[in-house]
Amino acid sequence: MIRARNLTVSLSGKTIVHGVSLEAKAGALTAIVGPNGSGKTTTMKALAGELSSTGEIAINGHDVRRLEPWQLAVKRAVLPQAATIAFPFTVREIVRLGLSVGPNRHAERIDAITAEALAAVDLAGFAGRLYQELSGGEQQRVQLARVLSQIWEPVLDGEPCFLMLDEPVSALDIRHQLTIMQLARRYCAGGGGVVAVMHDLNLTAMFADHMVMMRGGRIELAGPPAEVMTDDAMETVFGCRMRINTVPAPGIPFVLPHTAST
Amino acid sequence: MSLSDAMRGRFARGPAVTSPSAARASGDRTQAARLAILLLAVLAVVSLALSVATGASDASAVNVIRALVTGADETALSLRDRIIVFDIRMPRALLGFLIGAALAMSGAVMQGLFRNPLADPGLVGISSGSALGAVLMIVLGAGLPPAVMATLGAFALPLAAFVGGLITTLVLYRIATRGGQTSVATMLLAGIAIAALAGAVTGILIYMADDKQLRDITFWNLGSLAGMTWTKLLAAGPVILLALLVVPFLSRGLNAITLGEAAAFHMGVKVQRLKYTAVVAVAGAVGASVAVSGGIGFVGIVVPHLLRLVIGPDHRYLLPASALFGGVLLLGADMLARTVVAPAELPIGIITALAGAPFFLWVLLRDRGRNGW
Repeated sequence: MIRARNLTVSLSGKTIVHGVSLEAKAGALTAIVGPNGSGKTTTMKALAGELSSTGEIAINGHDVRRLEPWQLAVKRAVLPQAATIAFPFTVREIVRLGLSVGPNRHAERIDAITAEALAAVDLAGFAGRLYQELSGGEQQRVQLARVLSQIWEPVLDGEPCFLMLDEPVSALDIRHQLTIMQLARRYCAGGGGVVAVMHDLNLTAMFADHMVMMRGGRIELAGPPAEVMTDDAMETVFGCRMRINTVPAPGIPFVLPHTAST
Repeated sequence: MSLSDAMRGRFARGPAVTSPSAARASGDRTQAARLAILLLAVLAVVSLALSVATGASDASAVNVIRALVTGADETALSLRDRIIVFDIRMPRALLGFLIGAALAMSGAVMQGLFRNPLADPGLVGISSGSALGAVLMIVLGAGLPPAVMATLGAFALPLAAFVGGLITTLVLYRIATRGGQTSVATMLLAGIAIAALAGAVTGILIYMADDKQLRDITFWNLGSLAGMTWTKLLAAGPVILLALLVVPFLSRGLNAITLGEAAAFHMGVKVQRLKYTAVVAVAGAVGASVAVSGGIGFVGIVVPHLLRLVIGPDHRYLLPASALFGGVLLLGADMLARTVVAPAELPIGIITALAGAPFFLWVLLRDRGRNGW
């Protein structure tokens, strides 16, 4: 479990996150939603141990600030928002970065994991391509394969591992959005945990177990999507009057991921 | 989907990569990289031997070595040949190789650290900072207590150049990096400003210098492997060797930092330690090189770039390959410098700039627009 108590983050003198407390359980997908600038990404970075912050952050009971980077790296992996690279790495080399840093427990399985991770993000056969020549969505999936391979086993030595995904599906087409969200669910089913910053409320409602709604650096509401996604919550959090589970007036077509059959 | 695709992925790669096309499909360039390093190691031995064997004089290295091996009488070979081979060509070849290796590897490290293929110790002002340190030592060193100078001895210059390079690198990193992201434009422009500042201070020192100091200083501006001695090798060699030995341990961290400092931390890298180790190693290698040879430019940008085209950017292979190729290239340039206008010789800095500057322009033109420069 990742647990934050009274987490406060200040960047260049400005407080971005104000006393946030949350729990992300193993076996569950926790989604952080909220408008732009509400502190979602900053909260995630603080949970990852990347930003200096005050308050308590623990992963499986270990104080995140007391763990060495390599100790953190075997407990959680982080998918950043868009990443550009300056050198002509192949897809295989990028994915293997996830496997080559820190104590590697799968030396003999590296090739297999690389291939399986690429297949899991629907990029089988892309191993020899140059990362720089891929589209934005493909690059995002390569990064996800790298992150996935870093903590390939959802449970390691009896401790759950955590995927921390910052807008994992923002650059993806609808089919691959579903592929990635299903992948995240499988990771949870395997005993690991997932924390994801999400913008798509429909996908969040479909796949998240726990939904954290942030606004102005504070948690406004938290709970299962079925409980917290209300008309009032939409207006309070997003400042936009919308109606939950209401079919709009006929005329303009709409399509929901809920209807996908896979 | 996942299982069958996974199987296909595995078989497409095959159990052992043999043919180049299979290697391309799998994205695994390990074999090519190992082959390249082996080839470069052979080339390194050959070019070192050639450097010792050839020169403006007809002194025969073969004769000298044969006399040594067979234990022939000292009078059997001329004293002149012995001096030329042992005291002139050998330190020159060894130092030339070390300096080339230091400059090329430093280039690769800087490029990895700044996540930019155009970062080069010469281009961003580190060499200028080192030269300033050295000139400061030449001109003001006389003012230091004789006991201090006597203790430092031949190490005074490399030490001063190292400190100059170190300060420059730290300042540059501080200026160009904000929030873990390094701005290319800021880095190159800061490099120009730092080089100009170092040049101005060097100018003041030249103005203050006496005739002997002036002659010593002029030597840096040319960049030359002439006048290498065993003393200089002993002073600069250990620093360069130490840097060459430490830097390969940074490979994995430099690979990870390609994705950004935050991503490297996520993958378990102690980013601050990596950065400072890299900066100190680069400053040491460049500082020691500049102290004995002056500003030899463009080796650090040309060598890693060419190698990345062949073996890819994986620093585990790129760093040793750069060191070997840099050494080979500089010895080649030096042989050219010694022979084109023999018995006189060109400063080697002129040759590397003649070849390197157009290459730099080519890289700029080729990548123009692609990376938003």
